[in-house]
Formats: sequence, C-alpha cells, structure tokens
Amino acid sequence: MSIVSVEHVSKDYMLGKTVVPALRDVSLSVGKGEFLSIAGPSGSGKTTLLNLIGCVDTPTVGRVIVAGQDTARLSERALTELRLRTIGFIFQSFNLVSVLTVFQNVEFPLLLQGGQTRKDRADRVLALLDAVGIAEHARHRPSELSGGQRQRVAIARALVTRPALVLADEPTANLDSETGGNIIDLMKEMNRRDGTTFIFSTHDPKVMAHASALVRIEDGRIASREDLDGAALAGGR
Amino acid sequence: MSARRDALRVLLRIAFRNLTASPVRTAILGAIVLVGSLIVVVGSSLLDSIDRGMRTSIQGSLGGHLQVYDARSEGTLELYGGLRGESLLEPIEDFAKVKEVLAKVPNVKQVVPMGIDQAMVAVGNAFDVALERLRDDARRLEAGEDGPELRRSYAAHQAHVRRMVQLLREEIAQARQIVDEGGREAADQKQQWEALQRAATDDFWEGFDRDRYGSLELLENRVAPLAMDNAFTFLRYVGTDVDAFFRAFPLAEVVKGERIPTGRRGVLVGKQYAEEWLKLKNARRLDQIKDARDRRGKRIAEDEELQRWVRENRAGIREILLQLNPARADALAGLLRPALGAPEGEPLEPLLVRLFATTDESFDRSYALFYDVVAPSLRLYRIDVGDTITIKAPSKSGYFSSVNVKVYGFLQFKGIERSGIAGMMSVLDIVSFRDLYGYLTAEKAAEIERLQRSIGARAVERDRAEAELFGGGGGLVGEARAAEIDEGALVRGGEEDRASAADLAARVYSQEEIERGVALNAALILDDPRQLRRTERDVRAAIRDAGLGLEVVDWQQAAGLVGQFVTLLRVVLVTAVVIFFAIALVIINNAMVLATLQRVKEIGTMRAIGTQRRFVVTMLLVEIATVGVVFGLAGAALGALVVWAIRAAGGIPAVTDLLYFVFSGPALLPRLGALSVGASLAVVLVVAILSALYPALIAMRVTPVEAMATED
Repeated sequence: MSIVSVEHVSKDYMLGKTVVPALRDVSLSVGKGEFLSIAGPSGSGKTTLLNLIGCVDTPTVGRVIVAGQDTARLSERALTELRLRTIGFIFQSFNLVSVLTVFQNVEFPLLLQGGQTRKDRADRVLALLDAVGIAEHARHRPSELSGGQRQRVAIARALVTRPALVLADEPTANLDSETGGNIIDLMKEMNRRDGTTFIFSTHDPKVMAHASALVRIEDGRIASREDLDGAALAGGR
Repeated sequence: MSARRDALRVLLRIAFRNLTASPVRTAILGAIVLVGSLIVVVGSSLLDSIDRGMRTSIQGSLGGHLQVYDARSEGTLELYGGLRGESLLEPIEDFAKVKEVLAKVPNVKQVVPMGIDQAMVAVGNAFDVALERLRDDARRLEAGEDGPELRRSYAAHQAHVRRMVQLLREEIAQARQIVDEGGREAADQKQQWEALQRAATDDFWEGFDRDRYGSLELLENRVAPLAMDNAFTFLRYVGTDVDAFFRAFPLAEVVKGERIPTGRRGVLVGKQYAEEWLKLKNARRLDQIKDARDRRGKRIAEDEELQRWVRENRAGIREILLQLNPARADALAGLLRPALGAPEGEPLEPLLVRLFATTDESFDRSYALFYDVVAPSLRLYRIDVGDTITIKAPSKSGYFSSVNVKVYGFLQFKGIERSGIAGMMSVLDIVSFRDLYGYLTAEKAAEIERLQRSIGARAVERDRAEAELFGGGGGLVGEARAAEIDEGALVRGGEEDRASAADLAARVYSQEEIERGVALNAALILDDPRQLRRTERDVRAAIRDAGLGLEVVDWQQAAGLVGQFVTLLRVVLVTAVVIFFAIALVIINNAMVLATLQRVKEIGTMRAIGTQRRFVVTMLLVEIATVGVVFGLAGAALGALVVWAIRAAGGIPAVTDLLYFVFSGPALLPRLGALSVGASLAVVLVVAILSALYPALIAMRVTPVEAMATED
C-alpha cells in the first residue's frame, strides 16, 4: 500500500505574465518504508514535487494523495494538521527556530500536537537526540552548532512525532560531502529502525547511491524510476 | 485543555525569546511604550488634580453645584465674566418663589440668590479727601463753633492743602513746558492753571478766612481736577443674601473687618481687588517686588520688570507726599533720617527716594521700613474698611442708580486668595444690588414720587414726549430764573441727605425682604454632590412643574470660560497623547513589520511543520503585548514615581493668578488615580496590539513554501 500517490499532476507557476510549467503530468507512487531519492538538475522540478507531496503546495492539475487523503479536498487548517501529524520535514538550510534551544526545537512539534505529559515529551526528545547523536548539545542554541549538527537536530525534529512520511529537500546541499554522507546514513538508519518512509531530493550522485529507489526528473517530467538495493524494507509500487 | 496550555507555553517562550534575542529593538519599542504610559499616567493624574482644584475653586467661591437663571435670558450665565463683559440675564422677578420650589427638591440643601454685575465706585483723590476735611472744619467754624482743637485741626488741614497746591504747581509747571497749548481744551487748562497759580500765592491763603466757601470753591472746582487721580474705579460684585452666601461657600472669609451684619446694607470688597486697584501704588509695587523675589526667585539686578517697579516707585512719591500735611511729613522725615543714614535736615522727598531706590541687598530693609514707619501715616487703600462708598451703575431703566454702602471688610476665598478670578469679586447685600439694578422697592418708589412732586415733574408718555417738549401741548414752557445759591441751604440739604443715608445704613432688612425680589441667578448647594446629575434632573422637573421658566446649569457650565479650562486642558492632553501614540503606532508597526519580514523563513518553517495560522498571529500579538504590559507597567510605575516626586517637592507652583484658581491654592499636588494607571495600561496595550495587526497579517500570509527558499 502506498503512502503517497501522485496522479497526473501538473504544476504551473506564473512568472509575470508567462506561465512556467514546473511539472508536467507526473505520476508517482511511494510505498511505506521506502527510502526514495528524487534526483535531477536544479530547476527540474524536484522541489515542486516535494512541496506537493508535503502538502505545502497544491497542484494545478491532477491529484496528490497523502496517507489516503486527497490534498485538494482538504482545508488549509486540515492540511496543516496533516503536516503536523503525518509528515516530517528536513530542510536544505536546516530551518531551526533560532531563539529556541536544541531541545526546545525538537520538542516544538510535540507541543503543537499537545496531549502528552512533560515527562513523556522529554523522554521522547532525549531519546531522539541520543539516536541522532546530539544529546550533549540539548541546551545549546542552533547558532552554537555546526551545519551537520544542526541537520541532526532537524532530523530529530522531523521524527519526533513519529510521522509516516519524512520529506527532505536537498538535505545535504549545505554540508560537505563527508558530513552529508553521515546525514544520509543517519536518515537511512532511522528508515530502517522505525520503517519511516523517506523521500529526499538531491543532485549529488553519491547521495543518490544510498537510496532504495531513485526517481529521475528532467524538465518537469519523470525520466525514470529504478530500484537500487534491497536494503529498504519494502520496495515497488 | 492541556494541548492549549502547551501551545500557549511555547508561544510565550518564543515570544519572550524573540524579545531578548533583539535587545535593541525591544529597548526602543519598550522606551516608546514606557514614555507613552508615563505621559498618560502623569498627564491624567495632573488633569484629575486640576479638575479637583477647579471643582474646589468654583464650587467653593461662587458656583455651588447647580445654578439657575431665567430661561429667556439672551446670554448664558458666566459667573466669572465672559469675553464680552457680564452675561445678559433676564431677572428672576421673585427669588422667594424660586427658593420655595427648589428648596423642596430632594438633595438640595440651600438656594442662594445672586446678582453679579459691575459698578463704578467713586474713590475721589487725595486732594478731594484733604479738601473735604478742610471743608468740614470750615463748616464748623462758620456755624459758630470754635476752640483750640478745632483751630489746630483747621490750621493743619489748611497747611496740608496748601502743600498739595505747591506740589501740584511744581508738577504741572514741568508738564506745561511739554504740552502744546494750542489745543481745543487750552482755554480751560489756562483758566485752571491761573487758578492754581493764585492758590499758590500767600495772598490767597492770608485771605482764606475772609471767604472760606469761595476759597474752597476755587480749590474744589478749579484746582482739584488738575490732580487727575483716578476718580472712579470699577467694582465687580455679587449681590446676595450675605448670611446664606457664607453658609454656602466655605472658601469665603473676611480677612479684614467683619461680615456685613445680618440684614444690613454693606459691601465686602474683594481683597485681591483692593490690592490691585485700591492700594497705594508704591505699596502695591513693593508687595509685587517682594512676591517676585520670594516666590519666583527673581532679582532686581537681573529682572527688567522689577527694575521698572523700582523706577516707578521713585517717581511715584508724590502720591505719598500729597497724603501728608507738613507736620506729619516732618515727623516722618525725622524717623527716616537715622534709619536711612541720611544727613541731618534732609527733607522727606529725597528720603523717600532713598527708601524706594532699593537694590536686592537693601530690599528687605526698605520693605520693613516702609510698612513699619511710613505706612502708619498713610491711607494705604483708597477704599478701606469702615468707609462708606458710593456705588453707581446704569440701572435697567437707563438712569444711573447709586447707593451708599459701608465697607464692612475685605473678602477673600481661602486657597485661591491670590487669584484674579475669584479675588476680584466683592460681595454686596442684595437690597443694595436691587437698588443699583433698578428694581423698585416700595420705599424707592415712594421716594421717587416725593421727588417728582417736589420738582413739579410729571410723567410724560414716551410717544408724546416730543410734542410735550418742543411745543404743541404747551404744558412745559420753561421759565428762566436767576440762580441764587444759598450756601446755607446747600449745607442743610447735604445734611439731610446724609441723615437719610444714615437711616438706610442703619436699617435692618428682614429675611423676607431679602428674599422677596429680584435676583439674576441662584446657586444651589447639594447635600450630596455625587448625586449632581440626578438632582439636576429633579430640579428641571420641579421648575417645569412650577412653571418657573428657569434654565439649569452645573457649576462647570456656570463658570463659563473658566469652567472650560479643564476641558481645554483635557483636549490638549488627549491631542498630545493621540499624536504621540499615532507616532508610536507607526514606529512599532514598522519595527514589527521588519521583524516579521526577517522571520519569514522561520515562520514558514513553523507553518510547514504543522503550526496553524492563528498560532503564528497569536505569537506575534503575545510578543508585542508582552512589551506593552512589561514596559507599560514600568511606565506607570515611573509615572507614579514622578507624581510622588512632584508632591514631595511641594507640588507645581501656581505662578499666575489663573493657576491659583485652577489649582485651588499655591501649588498643584497631583494625586495618582487608579483610573489613570488603568487607562495608561489599556491605552498602551490597545496601541501595541493595533500596531502589531498589520505585521500579524503579513505573518499570517507567510506560506510554508517560504521555508523551502534556499537563500539564508
């Protein structure tokens, strides 16, 4: 059963009076537990596709179904709720709340969800910080951390609500290749440990190599889809 | 619920962190909020205190709580005078009827009749006073009286007048060198000058006893007018039931003399009025210099006004010299010489110049010397307690009415004694007021009838007057008779007048006589002033039911322009506050817009990871509200401190007479009101939140996509 289903989706942007097609008739299905990489040169439509899947943007034509829900039929508020409960985000430039500590940044989505005791939250946050190897920096501010450390915090934040799906737009673009590799390893470890579905975009061939499946995009169209290794829990459509 | 609380907690945390993360911005916004709140607290505390001061001044001096006057009046009631003089009020024909109705209204404690107007008072001049004394002695001698005491007094008064003539001649001789003699009045002036020359000769005085009345005539009619002192002054008075007035207005007190006895005619002259208009100019200027030095910290050496007063005092010595006969003048010179360290034999005039030519160093000594040594020989006030004065005013009928009343004392209003607003007011018995106003009392009507009979006048109807006067009817043909002045008869006539005036002065009017008759307005004093509005309605209803046709106004309206002072101040303060907060709004708005734009990515991220729009908006509002509350409270606390400090320093001094009235005393002691603190916080919060609305709108429109933007 797929967690994400993109059906004949096109997305146009207006650039002044010209219509710029970002995606043209894209269909894609992502199964639970996949570790899927979307690859392509910049401007090919990777980010647009991720935004549509992440419910932060809506398609011009076609349907995007996330966790069984047609995003076009959801209100703004329901989409927000869907993002909060079902999706975790990892950003290219980490996007931590600068005024909060590492611990508070990770705790933030739990607070938005509510309904947990302070202790439950703290346990969950600390366990994750431990898992991403950054527990000793819990009280630090993001500005006191290196890029790799920040991205680890971002991964912890994306995973803290146990989302079914984690989206990462170029998670290693702002990191050196060694650190980037470590981050991808960490994401893959998390994918293996909890069975969380990961979809990430990249144009770095070394990073693509870690993926269980690779979707190539060119000029807004899916050029190919290939399964890479059997390390992913489940593959296929 | 707990979810809400959790969300709120993180909201507060982020808002607070945002504030501490950009301390400069927070400090600037905080300072604006703080100053705004400070202005509101201090401003409204001052305003409330001024309001209280005005209330005390107006209610305690003339206003009472409510005022009624005839609804047909052209003007409105302005107790302290308006821009165009006294208010044009139709008279209340019978005050007793008004009192009867209004006294029954619940919460009305007292109804006081009033009639405010201005009148002329003849004050004469020093010359007139001296001549009158001389005439008195002359009259007694002519009547055959004699004795050493009378002779001595006669000689002294003669010497005084003679000295005055000399002083006057010297002064006018100087003036004549400047004045153009070709003018229209030159002939008159020449005649008077010749008379003065004659009066200054030894011949005139040696021959004085041969024709006492003739000599006096020359002095009175030809010489005295040259002295040209103010012969009239204007008195603003309230005619009232004096006993009721003092019961109603607790601030009123007699500072010199005594109250007008119950039912008597009489006047209590406003103390401040007496100081400004009736006091010997030199003494008044000394008082002013002292006041400027003591109260305003001015120094003669530095202040042009004080220097002018000193100059004028040196030039104004003649007024003092005119008051002294030669013997007194010599005695005074004898006392002043050692005190001033002057050489033996120096006459009074240079001594007085020495006395008044004060510097900062010698001022206190000169002041004491003047009041201790010189003043006891002088008449300091042109109208003083114990005098009987003639008050004149154009009556309703168009004729001038006049009444003679005894000055029983000087009046002031406690706390606002220095104020020209209330301090100028004199109190006159209401019976005399009615005479002046032209209201015909029974006795007045009888007197007029007697007069008409004695001169053979008859009433002429207005529309026939022309015909009657200029022929046609032929009834009023004039008959020229040689004028034959009989001094004796005049003197006797004068005495008769005097006798009837004495009758009037001695007469005691009953309460009924006081209350039955005309008043222009009436002050209502309430038992419980807090019920003012309700009582005002009740009074209106009572007036309507009884068909009295009266207008009702509260004390503030009744005070006219003065009453609007607080309103004016309030408008000024509110305008200032509005302008300040308008600017604050723009600044805070700008700062918050900037801060929001800087945080677009952060907000986008929060939106992406599941933060609802309202959460983002609330976050921003909480942030600015935190600034509002924290710095608003700090500003209010600082404001309270300022108010306290002003009090501790003795308040804001009332440097002008108007402020005396407004502050109801020499200084304004502001009191912090819970209301002003509450108001300042409310205003600050509202402004802060208003100024955050636009930035909040911007924040709300931030889409999660913005989080994906790659530029950092």
